Amino acid sequence: MSTNSVITRNHGATDKDLADPALVKLRDLVYRISGIFHAENKFYLLALRSRRRMKEIGSNSFADYFDQLTTRATRDVEMRSLLNEITIGETYFFRSQPTIDAVSKIIFPKIVAQPGKQALKKVRVWSAGCSTGEESYTLSILFLEQIAPRFKDWKIEIVATDLNDGSLAKCREGLYAEYSVRNLSPQMRERYFQQQGNLFRVKDAVRAPIKFDRLNLQDQAKMLFMKGFDLVFCANVLIYFDSVAKKRTVEHFYNGLVPGGHFFLGECETLFGIYDQFRLVHFPGSTGYYKPVPGEDAGGKK
Amino acid sequence: MKPETSKMLQRKVSELGSLPVMPSILQSLGTCLSASPDDLDIARIVELISYDKSLAAQCLRVANSAIFSRQSGVESVRQAVIALGIQRVRDIVYSCSLPQLFAGAQRGMAQSTFWRHALGTALVSQHLAELLMVADVEKLYLAGLLHDIGILVNSLLYPEEFQRVLEQAQSSEAPLCEVEQQVLGFTHCDSGRVLADIWKLPPDVTATIEFHHHPAGDRAGGEIPCVVYLADLLCRLRGLGYGYYEAREFDLAAEVPWRVLQKKHPDAAAGLDLARFTIELDQYGVEVQTMVDSIFSNSSASH
Repeated sequence: MSTNSVITRNHGATDKDLADPALVKLRDLVYRISGIFHAENKFYLLALRSRRRMKEIGSNSFADYFDQLTTRATRDVEMRSLLNEITIGETYFFRSQPTIDAVSKIIFPKIVAQPGKQALKKVRVWSAGCSTGEESYTLSILFLEQIAPRFKDWKIEIVATDLNDGSLAKCREGLYAEYSVRNLSPQMRERYFQQQGNLFRVKDAVRAPIKFDRLNLQDQAKMLFMKGFDLVFCANVLIYFDSVAKKRTVEHFYNGLVPGGHFFLGECETLFGIYDQFRLVHFPGSTGYYKPVPGEDAGGKK
Repeated sequence: MKPETSKMLQRKVSELGSLPVMPSILQSLGTCLSASPDDLDIARIVELISYDKSLAAQCLRVANSAIFSRQSGVESVRQAVIALGIQRVRDIVYSCSLPQLFAGAQRGMAQSTFWRHALGTALVSQHLAELLMVADVEKLYLAGLLHDIGILVNSLLYPEEFQRVLEQAQSSEAPLCEVEQQVLGFTHCDSGRVLADIWKLPPDVTATIEFHHHPAGDRAGGEIPCVVYLADLLCRLRGLGYGYYEAREFDLAAEVPWRVLQKKHPDAAAGLDLARFTIELDQYGVEVQTMVDSIFSNSSASH
C-alpha cells in the first residue's frame, strides 16, 4: 500500500520515513519486546521517537538503528531508552478520550448506583505509576467537569503513586507547558488552571482530591496496604517488569480493587498470559478489566 | 421474525417495488461458484466483469489493495480471477458494486458510514474465523459484508421512520436494533432477511443476516453467524460502527456466541489474546477507510 494514500497527517514524519521497510522491522521488534503495537496510523509516532533516539546516538538510518537494537552490545540499554521515549515521550491531559468516556459515561454511573456506596458517597481511584501527574489531574478535572454536576454530594479520592522522586516533585508542583494542555478547550484551561506566562498551574480544587505518594510496585509489604479502590490505572509500567513481577503486581491490583471494580492498562497493553482472574471488558474504543463480584455469573455482566 | 412482520415487509416491497435488483453479474458469479469445478468457465467470468469498465477498474484496484492481496501486481481481471480465486473475486465484486446499487437512499445512515462498518465486519469476521480455526473461512467475508443489509432496506422503504430510529439511537446511545424494535416494530435483521430471500443469497449469508444479533439459537445455523456477531460488536466498539457512541460495556468472553465458538475450538479460543486482537483492529480501520474512499471516489467520478 502506498503511504501517501494512507497517512494523511504525518505529524512531522516524512513520507520517506514512513515508507522505510526498516521501520516495519522496528515496529515488530518493539511489539515483540514490549507488547506495544504501532498500527499504521501510529507509525509517525514510532518514526519521530526513533529519530529522537537516533539523533542522540548518531545513527542515521532506521536500518542502522535496527542493528543498534539487535546486534550491538548496547542493545538492551538502547531498547530501554527507546521504550522510555515511547512510553513517556508523549503524555498530556485528556490523552485517552475513549477511556475517559468509558469512566464518565459507563463506569461512574455504575459505581454511583451500587447499594454499598450510598453511605460514604466516595469513589476511590489509584493511579499506579502516575509519572508526572497528567493522568491523575485529568481524572480530577473529569470528576469536577462531568461527574460532580450529575451526582450531587459524591466525592473522589485519587491516590497517585510513583517510584521516581523527580516525577513526584513535578506532580506536586502541578505546572505544565502548553503542550500538556493542548487537548483542553480554552474554557477548561481557564476553569482549572492559572496561566503563568507560557505555563499552566493546576488550581487548588483540582489538586485537593489527590494524594501523591512514593511507592515501589515491587514493595510487597506496602502493596498490601493499597486496598478498597473502585478504579486502578497502571499505564505502560508493567513492560519494565519480568513475567513473575508482572503477575505479582497485577495480583496486588486485583486484591486492591473492590469487587465490581475496574482496572485499566495502557492503550496497547494486555494481561493475556500474565493474570487470568480479571475479566476483559470492552468499552467503545478501549478495553479494561473487571473484578467480578463473588457469585456473579460471568454471563450476567452486561 | 414473526410471520406477520415478514408478510408486512414483503407487501411493502411489492407495493413500492423499490428494492434494488441484484446485479446480473453477481447472480452469474453465484451460479459459477455453485457449479462443479469442472464446469468453471473462467473466460465467461472474466468477460462478465470486464463488461462494466469502471467496475473492472475498481475491482482491480481493490484486488491490489493490502486487504486482498499481500503480493501486488494483478494487472488484468483474468489475472485476478486466477490469482485470487473466484470466491475472492466475487467478494470484491460485491464490495464494489453494492454501494452503487444503494446509492439512491438519500436519508438514513450515511453510505460511507454504512460501508465502513460492512467492510470492517467482513474483514474482522474473516480474521477472527482464521484465528479460531473455524471451517469455511472463505464464506465469512460475504456474510460479514452483508450482515446489516437490512439497514439499507429500512433506509429505502421507511426513510422518515428510519431517520427517527437513527436520531433516537444516537441521542440515547442505545443499540440500533432495540430502537428499531420500538419505533418500527421490526429490525434490520427482519428486513434484511426479506431482501436475502428475494436475492436468493447463500444459506449461510441469509442466516447471518437474520440472526446476527441472536446467533446462538436453534435455528440460527452454525458458527458463521456467531463469528459475525462478535466481529460486528468489535467493529462497533472500535471506531467502525454506526457513527455514534453506544454507552455499553461488553464482556465478550461471556457472550453466548463466543461460548459456542469456544466449545467447538477450545485450543484456538484459549490461545487468542482478545485484548491484543482488539488493539490490532485499529490497523483495519485505516485499511477499510482507504478502501471505502476508493470505492466512493470512483462512483462519484464515474457519474
